[in-house]
Amino acid sequence: MEARAERLPSHGKRRSVFREERRLGAAMVVPSLAVIALVAAYPICYAIWLSLNEYSVITPGLSRFVGFDNYTQALGSSEFWEAMKTTLLFTAISVSLELVIGLGMAMVMHRAFRGRALLRAVVLVPWAILTVVTAITWRTIFEPELGFVNTVLTKLGLPGGDVVWLGQEGYALAVMIFADVWKTAPFMALLLLAGLQGIPEDLYDAAKVDGATAWQRFRRVTLPLLRPAIAIALIFRTLDALRIFDLPYVLTKGANGTETLSLLAQKELVVNRNTGLGSALAVLTFITVMTVSFLYIRFVGGNIRALTEEEE
Amino acid sequence: MALQGRSSVRNLVGVVLALMAAALVLASCGGGGSSGGSEGGAAEAKTLQSSEAKPTGQVTWCIGKDTSGAFKTAVEKFNSENPGAEAKLLELPESADLQREQQIQRLRAESNECDVLGMDVTWAPEYAASGWLYDVTPSVEKLEGEFIPSTVETTEYEGKNWGIPFNTNAGFLYYRTNEVPKAPTTWEQVYKEAQQKNGLVYQGERYEGLTCVFLELLYSAGGHVLSEDGETVEIDSPLTTETLEFMRGGIEDGAVPKSVTTYEEESSRRAFEAGNATFMRNWPYAYALGKESGIANEFAITKFPGFKGNPGAGVIGGYNLGISAFTDNPKGSLAFAEFLVTEPVQKEMFLKATLPATVTAVYKDPEVKKEIPFTEELLKAVEQAQARPLSPVYQEITEAIYDNTFEVLNGRESPKGATSKMGSEIETALERF
Repeated sequence: MEARAERLPSHGKRRSVFREERRLGAAMVVPSLAVIALVAAYPICYAIWLSLNEYSVITPGLSRFVGFDNYTQALGSSEFWEAMKTTLLFTAISVSLELVIGLGMAMVMHRAFRGRALLRAVVLVPWAILTVVTAITWRTIFEPELGFVNTVLTKLGLPGGDVVWLGQEGYALAVMIFADVWKTAPFMALLLLAGLQGIPEDLYDAAKVDGATAWQRFRRVTLPLLRPAIAIALIFRTLDALRIFDLPYVLTKGANGTETLSLLAQKELVVNRNTGLGSALAVLTFITVMTVSFLYIRFVGGNIRALTEEEE
Repeated sequence: MALQGRSSVRNLVGVVLALMAAALVLASCGGGGSSGGSEGGAAEAKTLQSSEAKPTGQVTWCIGKDTSGAFKTAVEKFNSENPGAEAKLLELPESADLQREQQIQRLRAESNECDVLGMDVTWAPEYAASGWLYDVTPSVEKLEGEFIPSTVETTEYEGKNWGIPFNTNAGFLYYRTNEVPKAPTTWEQVYKEAQQKNGLVYQGERYEGLTCVFLELLYSAGGHVLSEDGETVEIDSPLTTETLEFMRGGIEDGAVPKSVTTYEEESSRRAFEAGNATFMRNWPYAYALGKESGIANEFAITKFPGFKGNPGAGVIGGYNLGISAFTDNPKGSLAFAEFLVTEPVQKEMFLKATLPATVTAVYKDPEVKKEIPFTEELLKAVEQAQARPLSPVYQEITEAIYDNTFEVLNGRESPKGATSKMGSEIETALERF
């Protein structure tokens, strides 16, 4: 931002100031880079190293180098691809729903009306509850026969009263998505609300003067200006969803088509103490997450770029 | 300006992503732990002589959550009886999986924090093979006559005893007396009556509980998972297929509701108490709770019926006490562990925490008999119960069992296919070095 002030001085002088600032900037970044190297790079490298070995369960401390065997085993197992499919499906559906619902919630909360502060607080309640608690609650609600959902459906004579929600493929994933949307749509709403509040009212007034309908104002003013907020919210939620663990762990323990990549990695690492294979699975999960993040920056990030250029 | 704006947004996103990625990797590493630990093997396990037990020094007892307060009472009693010793309780989480995780983290790091370990009956082989336990065979041999024999079996690995049986458990068949006047004597009858009446519920979710349910039937049928020496797989047999066919048949003809595939102990108990089932397979804890429910006077319990012409069998539950190989005070630890299996302590645990005693004499105690009406049934159930496979890779074995049984219950795998899958998956597990 300060660059604007520096446009006035001569070209050469501006250059050297710029260079100096860059040097200072680099120096100031060094400590945080060192910290990142320590807490991020080291564990990543260590995990990769672990994934290239096989570790003995019988004799602690004994290991042998097996190259890419663990990866071959992981990539060759149907379990891994099932988990990959489940994870991507869960992420795609839940994040899309959260975006739509979160946007709706944000628009409502953005309006001025009595009790707005209270509404904003109430809406955030699901987000404030621990995921494990949420999961236990939904598990009880969807319990077969005695659960709230089945009881209500039966009492009202509606179909579905005898569905074993968490016991069937498809339904189990649907419940998991439902619980996730319920919990995190408010978070999405909060991020988008912050974005909405950054849009100047004048633009709406100008649009109105020009005779834009409510829909046109939403399409042409709100959405484009909200794009950076949407991009950030999507990135946050997508990465979270790709690593989902607690929800399926409590709801189904991964049964009936709800086993996610994280669940699979945890099972091999912690329960079976299969450190090599488990690390390979963790690295593969990491690569998946990084790939998706890269795609986001490439495409959604592209929108951010287009937007900032328009602003100029 | 445009360039700067763009790169700052991208940088921010980049940093956020890098941090999240770091968190992911950190989380997975933290969970997996490092492979720290000594070189060399499990071979040189040290043996503790019973005569070495001496109540002195500090002893930390690491066991699951003390929900009833009985553990604390026992620790205080030990301390007041032995002025030279100081026992301390370190409570681990309530769930067995998390207890194991906590203990393994400490043992891998060779931590001396825990002296006496409360181990689920399926853990001793894994710990022993890893060299994390003292061999306590002399103590177990000395006390052998006092224990219910089946409880001692769970402490064995490679011909030695690696723990002292602390408490035990065995499942019961619960039935509604107003629907079935007399308990059936075979599982075939149970399923038949269940189909005519209101069904049977058990723990059919994809977890350890399903392994127990399956093994109870397999053991009764005369089947095995591993050979006696634990070296070869025997589960890949027609008996396994028949057992799975029987379980699948129960769901197909409506003797067992489909909802059991989502039931663990508590949900099956709730279904039974709500009157939604005629029979239930569950642990003894459901008895006292049932007596406080709406069906208090309309149910009874019995040991497991027979199957395929053989007498019934159960699987044994409960905890053993292991002495950590990394303790600074093996003598004091052994003294404390032996104290915990003395009659008065065992009686107290039974009465106060409903942790069934491993010591036979406790079951004959008039006070226990009066307070716990199912004492006699329980002793019978424990006596006829067998250990789950004793192997260092038990976790993978049980996973192969419950995963495949679960697929059969859901109709996604044939009993025959599941049998051979169980066999090959357990085979792979045994190949771990």
